[in-house]
Amino acid sequence: MSPLGRAGWAVVPAVLAAAVAGGWAARRVPAGVNPHPVRLVRPARAPLSVMAQIGRDLFSDPALSPSGALSCASCHSPAHAYGPPEHPPAPGARAIPSLRYVDRIPSFGIGPDAPEQDGPTVGPVPRAGAGNAAPAAGSATSAVALVPRGGLFWDGRAATLQGQAMGPLFNPREMANRDTAALESRLAARYGARLREVFGEEVLRDRRLLLDEAVFAITRFEIEDPSFHPYNSKYDAYLEGRARLTRAEARGLALFDDPARGNCASCHLDRPGPGGRPPVFSDYEYEALGVTPDDPDQGLCGPLRTDLAGRRDLCGMFRTPSLRNAATRTAFFHDARIRTLAGAVAAYAVPAVRRAAQVGRLSQGDRADIVAFLKTLTDGYF
Amino acid sequence: MKRVARALVVVLALGLVAGRPQTAPPADALPTATPIKHLVIIFDENISFDHYFATYPVAQNPRGEPAFVALPGTPGVNGLAGRLLTNNPNRTNPENRELASNPFRLDRTQAATSDQSHDYSDEQLAYDRGAADLFPRHTGRGLPGGTSAFYTPSVVMGYYDGNTVTALWNYAQHFAMSDNAYADDYGPSAPGAISLVSGQTNGFVVGKSVDSTDWVHDGQGGLTLISDAGPSLDICSDSLYYLNQGTMTGRNIGDLLNDAGISWGWFQGGFDLTLRTAGGQGCGRTTASHIALRTSADYIPHHEPFQYYRSTANRLHLRPASVSAIGQSGDPANHQYDVRDFFAAVRAGNFPAVAFLKPQAFQDGHAGYSDPLDEQTFLVETINFLEQQPDWSTTAVIVLYDDSDGWYDHQMAPVGNGSFDPGRDFLTGVGACGVRGTTPQLGGVAGTGPVNGRCGPGTRQPFLVISPWARPNDVDHTLIIQSSVLRFIEDNWLASRRVGGGSYDATAGSIESLFDFTGPARVAPLFLNDSLGTPVRTPSGRLPG
Repeated sequence: MSPLGRAGWAVVPAVLAAAVAGGWAARRVPAGVNPHPVRLVRPARAPLSVMAQIGRDLFSDPALSPSGALSCASCHSPAHAYGPPEHPPAPGARAIPSLRYVDRIPSFGIGPDAPEQDGPTVGPVPRAGAGNAAPAAGSATSAVALVPRGGLFWDGRAATLQGQAMGPLFNPREMANRDTAALESRLAARYGARLREVFGEEVLRDRRLLLDEAVFAITRFEIEDPSFHPYNSKYDAYLEGRARLTRAEARGLALFDDPARGNCASCHLDRPGPGGRPPVFSDYEYEALGVTPDDPDQGLCGPLRTDLAGRRDLCGMFRTPSLRNAATRTAFFHDARIRTLAGAVAAYAVPAVRRAAQVGRLSQGDRADIVAFLKTLTDGYF
Repeated sequence: MKRVARALVVVLALGLVAGRPQTAPPADALPTATPIKHLVIIFDENISFDHYFATYPVAQNPRGEPAFVALPGTPGVNGLAGRLLTNNPNRTNPENRELASNPFRLDRTQAATSDQSHDYSDEQLAYDRGAADLFPRHTGRGLPGGTSAFYTPSVVMGYYDGNTVTALWNYAQHFAMSDNAYADDYGPSAPGAISLVSGQTNGFVVGKSVDSTDWVHDGQGGLTLISDAGPSLDICSDSLYYLNQGTMTGRNIGDLLNDAGISWGWFQGGFDLTLRTAGGQGCGRTTASHIALRTSADYIPHHEPFQYYRSTANRLHLRPASVSAIGQSGDPANHQYDVRDFFAAVRAGNFPAVAFLKPQAFQDGHAGYSDPLDEQTFLVETINFLEQQPDWSTTAVIVLYDDSDGWYDHQMAPVGNGSFDPGRDFLTGVGACGVRGTTPQLGGVAGTGPVNGRCGPGTRQPFLVISPWARPNDVDHTLIIQSSVLRFIEDNWLASRRVGGGSYDATAGSIESLFDFTGPARVAPLFLNDSLGTPVRTPSGRLPG
């Protein structure tokens, strides 16, 4: 977080106040141009570490699957914003999420609703007797509404990116490794020497450590490589005052923001965060949108996730995904029940979904405008 | 530097002539037993000695990472080598079961890790009567940490080297370090912080509580604090949901310094509740780390020891009346400040005699929410800044830690102070830390007989002295503890007056062997890059906070 970025964001309220007070500033700006441009602060670029270089090679190495046919990149296609290609070779139980911007997903927790926060509220509350400075999740008073937030996978069951990356390796419907020993042997043969450069001999002596290090290397690729967080969509350019939205896009943005109409931005946050952090279009919280009690997959309360099985109030809830690059996807919602972006927007007209998401009445033209706006979230505009 | 200093003297002289408030640091005029007129204690969080210095001074040096190559003549340390690396007792003891593991290197990309257990009893159990072979089983039970954190079931055995803790390794080979420094007692942050400033964790009084896990009955009718109950005398303890809270009776070093009219302060990140940053305002102010990729609260009340004592608390976090009031008594702040106030005071020529610094939480080094790279930024920016002050020639910086986090360390200190709580002491047997009747056991704060809950010395932790008066590139082996710093303050400014009442200051080892006061100050400043920790000619000039 550079001091410049902080200062850049700090002037926004002042400009806004002046605009409101004067009542003229907005009128001077051409339609479709951000009247209050900001400076977005993107992750610093640096050469990839040795770990991230190893991770880059692992990411597209089909030798990670016993069939020799599937790599991470088979389903998290670099050409599709690290989301599913049109015909995924090994569909898991759920829609394949995009791995773009996963570096911004906070740890899982159930705590006070804090929409302005970019991470979990870390109240350093000592766990009784454990001597740990632990997150405040679940320790607030009953006066505060507690909501689930963050975590990896649609149900947040993986605590770390490393835990997420481990999942598909052993999922029988995905890369389908049956035992760790065979995978460890292949990893040792193919990556052992390179991991030894970083960790010394111990990583060759301890195969479990080698597996954990290799999977961690994949997460370093996701964290370090700029292709995972480019923030270079038309909307980013618009925020920075460098692009003009078309009429349809601008109308779509207004509907997206309007709490009485689309109400999309109440979960898919579209304003820059503290320090000029570009919006990710998710508050990382959980919603139940049209999941019925007889659906086999109930998200937070199971059956894939097991630690919240007793929480009936959390059934049917899945984590709000980022909408960046939604227009490049062909699988929407956790169960991929919708195949097109227009269909995903239209799904909010279903009464149960509309009530749950508190969406107002939208005409067909309104929905088309929202789709037009969502297409400005596709990376690669500049 | 000399020219700058002379120019400053002229300016100060003119200031006096013109009748402006005196800006010369009054600390310079105080009589001291050593040439040190300013002691800056940077009290970071949760690192064992082996976690940072296991292989010192030899680093792995992978491509692309800040390299560390030791200067000729750099001494080794009591770290990990030979069978401790390849056939460690934590690997061979079957009680660790599937967690059994040798120590292993953590890479610079693994700066963010999960947090370990640093409970008073867990740490004693990990040391297993001195065999130090049950860390995976007893302290290796980490919380997950941030989503970017590295995790392996035996991560408690991981250690960094000079490619990650580059600045500390550079300071160590330029100035002086101890490889035989310990916490006063076993256990987590609050007891460590309280003992640093008083040498005594007995005398706890419960404020509010939901359970009694944070203290033990001392066997004399009182309580000893062994965990992280929050300070009742801090408005942030309630807003940050501390379920157990309390206060300390007895005296601390602040009382002694106040009696003697010596300027001092505790400067902690996040303390200024009026300051608004990108991360908000008040007790819940936060900062996002782009290293750990997570957001942490800036201020942690149970890391602020003076907030437990009525005489030194600043319950409402009142601000000092002026920059010149910082360090002085008779001011609303009552010697408790934000870390930003320290830099403001020093820049204004008001460098207190004794300053305790605690970074904003994301920079304090504590695994789970902070990391060694963010910690390094704070250390380097602070030390670069101090090395450029006219008063550097009479300054010493001590970097030490409140506890070990439970990270593996192979060296247990001989039990110096026994404790025999049946439910919480386990170091030498169930209900035993030491041998009853043989091991010394200090009394309580109220002048009582021997009290339980003070099993010590605790875990071994890094301890560096950065000063023109440090013994250059020296590793000292004298057994010292956190209270050794307390003793140095008393010896230097207070004619060796002690806190008393069972305080460790009476028995703690001396840190003077890390200094060389015999000749003139001889160690030149060492400026480092604040993100890489490598030497630079010109420091960035950035300040923390």
